[in-house]
Amino acid sequence: MNDISPEAALHRISPELRPLLCSVVRNGRVGLDSTNCLRVTDLKTGCISLTPGPCCDRFKLHIPYAGETLKWDIIFNAQFPELPPDFIFGEDAEFLPEPSELPHLVQWDAGNPECLLQLVKELIQQYHHYQCQRLRESSRLLFEYDSLLEDPNYGRNMEIYAGRKNSWTGEFSARFLLKLPVDFSNIPVYLLKDTALDPGEDVALLSVSFEDAEATQVFPKLYLSPSIEHALGGSSALHIPAFPSGGCLIDYVPQVCQLLNNKVQYIIQGYHKRREYIAAFLSHFGMGVVEYDAVGFTKLTLLLMWKDFCFLVHVDLPLYFPRDQPTLTFQSVYHFTNSGQLYSQVQKSYPYSPRWDGNEMAKRAKAYFKSFIPQFQEGAFANGKL
Amino acid sequence: MAEPTVRVSGIVLSSLMFQHGNTDSDAEGLVLGESRVEEQITISDSQADRIHIQEIYYVQKHIACSKLNHLYSGAGEVNSVAVKKLLADNKQDSVLGWYRQRRNSDQQLSFRERIVHQSLKASLRNPHLLFLLLTPHRASSAESTHRTEYCAYISRNSVFLSVPLLVNNLGLQEPQSYWKLPAGRSSERYSATIRRHSSSFFSSDGQLRDVNDVNAMNDALQEELQAACREVEDSERQLETLQSEVSALRKRSRERRKMKKSEAAGRTGEEEEDQRRNLRLQEAVGALFKRSPLFLTHTLTLQGFPVPERTFSGEEEEEEEEEAVCEEEEEEEAVCEEETRENTHSRKRSREMAASSERKRRKSES
Repeated sequence: MNDISPEAALHRISPELRPLLCSVVRNGRVGLDSTNCLRVTDLKTGCISLTPGPCCDRFKLHIPYAGETLKWDIIFNAQFPELPPDFIFGEDAEFLPEPSELPHLVQWDAGNPECLLQLVKELIQQYHHYQCQRLRESSRLLFEYDSLLEDPNYGRNMEIYAGRKNSWTGEFSARFLLKLPVDFSNIPVYLLKDTALDPGEDVALLSVSFEDAEATQVFPKLYLSPSIEHALGGSSALHIPAFPSGGCLIDYVPQVCQLLNNKVQYIIQGYHKRREYIAAFLSHFGMGVVEYDAVGFTKLTLLLMWKDFCFLVHVDLPLYFPRDQPTLTFQSVYHFTNSGQLYSQVQKSYPYSPRWDGNEMAKRAKAYFKSFIPQFQEGAFANGKL
Repeated sequence: MAEPTVRVSGIVLSSLMFQHGNTDSDAEGLVLGESRVEEQITISDSQADRIHIQEIYYVQKHIACSKLNHLYSGAGEVNSVAVKKLLADNKQDSVLGWYRQRRNSDQQLSFRERIVHQSLKASLRNPHLLFLLLTPHRASSAESTHRTEYCAYISRNSVFLSVPLLVNNLGLQEPQSYWKLPAGRSSERYSATIRRHSSSFFSSDGQLRDVNDVNAMNDALQEELQAACREVEDSERQLETLQSEVSALRKRSRERRKMKKSEAAGRTGEEEEDQRRNLRLQEAVGALFKRSPLFLTHTLTLQGFPVPERTFSGEEEEEEEEEAVCEEEEEEEAVCEEETRENTHSRKRSREMAASSERKRRKSES
């Protein structure tokens, strides 16, 4: 398989077929996993070798589906560009869609650049029905499918891959890929903007693999868009529970959904709480505020004075504030350590309660500063050098 | 249950490949022939008497479609009228199946091929319809070698099974030796038929017409190539000659320039020598005849007699002497300038000059 960029593929394809391929490689997001575009490889031609290029008219299309990648051959004829394409469905030799269910094939319009993409989407829909039909080989898995289908939250956003039998056990296996109905729109924008890529729509997909027909070996996995994963604190931040023995998807999926929803709400509330906290500190310390993070409200620096002794206090608020306590770093403006850094002390345990509001936290922090600073000053004089 | 086998002659298979080799797209059409059921009895160690029933499809002819998707729609529905028109005088019963040739694709039935096959089965009312799939692709990166894979398929209960496709003139699979001698020509009818049709293929001297034509074309190509080679050779020789002339001319012009420079250098030396010689002569003449009234300018009266010289006072004598000194100084300066000019010449010349001036001095001294 030779990977080629969309631009290279468009350059090599026959000019009459270029608009059709353009919409596939540029706008071709299909299925639940719309973070990945459709990919084109193995461009070849049906013309004789003396025909001057570009004249490629057949290629392999890679389609993400239910955690797998379908590799379908699409065959045109450069000398007859008005004719509809033909397809070879790779390893799914038994997949034979009904032509009447493919309106864009029956009414093929070579002049419509979207025609091929629409036809591919119709074929994927037919492929989904074909896979669902294959679940009939296992009554247990068919039950899982039917129960999910009844729930409108999951039934409409589900892909199933009833693959080849497990090569070790000879058992029938299947994978369910579900799009979880979680609202990510209220996540603060700053949490989403730091990802290097533009992943498109924010989505959470739950993949559940049944390695046997009796559902004794079930492996769930949660896939999040890169921006959502980053906003929630990375891949290790969210652990979904294991699939319960004897359990079923109709109970398990809502559980995972709720867990994710709670996490998202926690993040959103945490953002508001941090903002409240910073606002309270600004109100209490006024001119003593040196700087603060006005976007994510994760940092605050104060310059304070106690009996002619000036010091800085850096406040770092964690992602899961107020559950996790902010870190206070006291820093002397006079004293240096041996390594040339300003003398500082970090305080992680001080009087704190996540149930206090921002105002109360600011008041308590102020009181703590007053009680701690003499000790800090002594330490600075003893261990630091001017 | 009968095991199907497809047999095709080398002529039909090669004409299929030849036709597609000259087509700038995929190709398709119908294959005609006949089918027979044969009983084969084999004896093995485990079984004394084993009967195989084989259904053999003999592909004898193919009819190509003039353009793709002519017999069916985009959705795979067969156009019976188009099929009948394509068959023309051939009987529908002789249709064994259809074929498709797909360049640079997998040896696997496509979506439309399966739909069309089922539809054609129904249209021709032939449940044992065959489908021949030929997939040529290049076997070397230089595109000098191409490989064609071919396979036959038959549909049983909507499942497509591949059927062995054997080429007749390559010998049969059974352990028999190849035919080393052609079939006997004792048959009158055989000879008459061959004679009747041979003029279409053979020229008067018994050679294949097409082969003669191809050879003639090849000869013409060779001649053109040779002529082109000769032209190239001539132009290369001309170029070589011109290049040697150019380099000779360049060499000559370089030598001439060198000579001119050396001549110029020699001439200036001689000129200077001449000048010096002239200066010395001038000095000598000046020393001898400076005060001679014959070489002085005279002012003459109207009658042609020289105006007598005025008597000089002491001051005037001093002025005269001063003038004489100035003149001598001027002469010395001129000599110094000449000497400095000599010093600025190249060492070679100065050596030459020195040598020649030595000679001159010696001569003047003598």
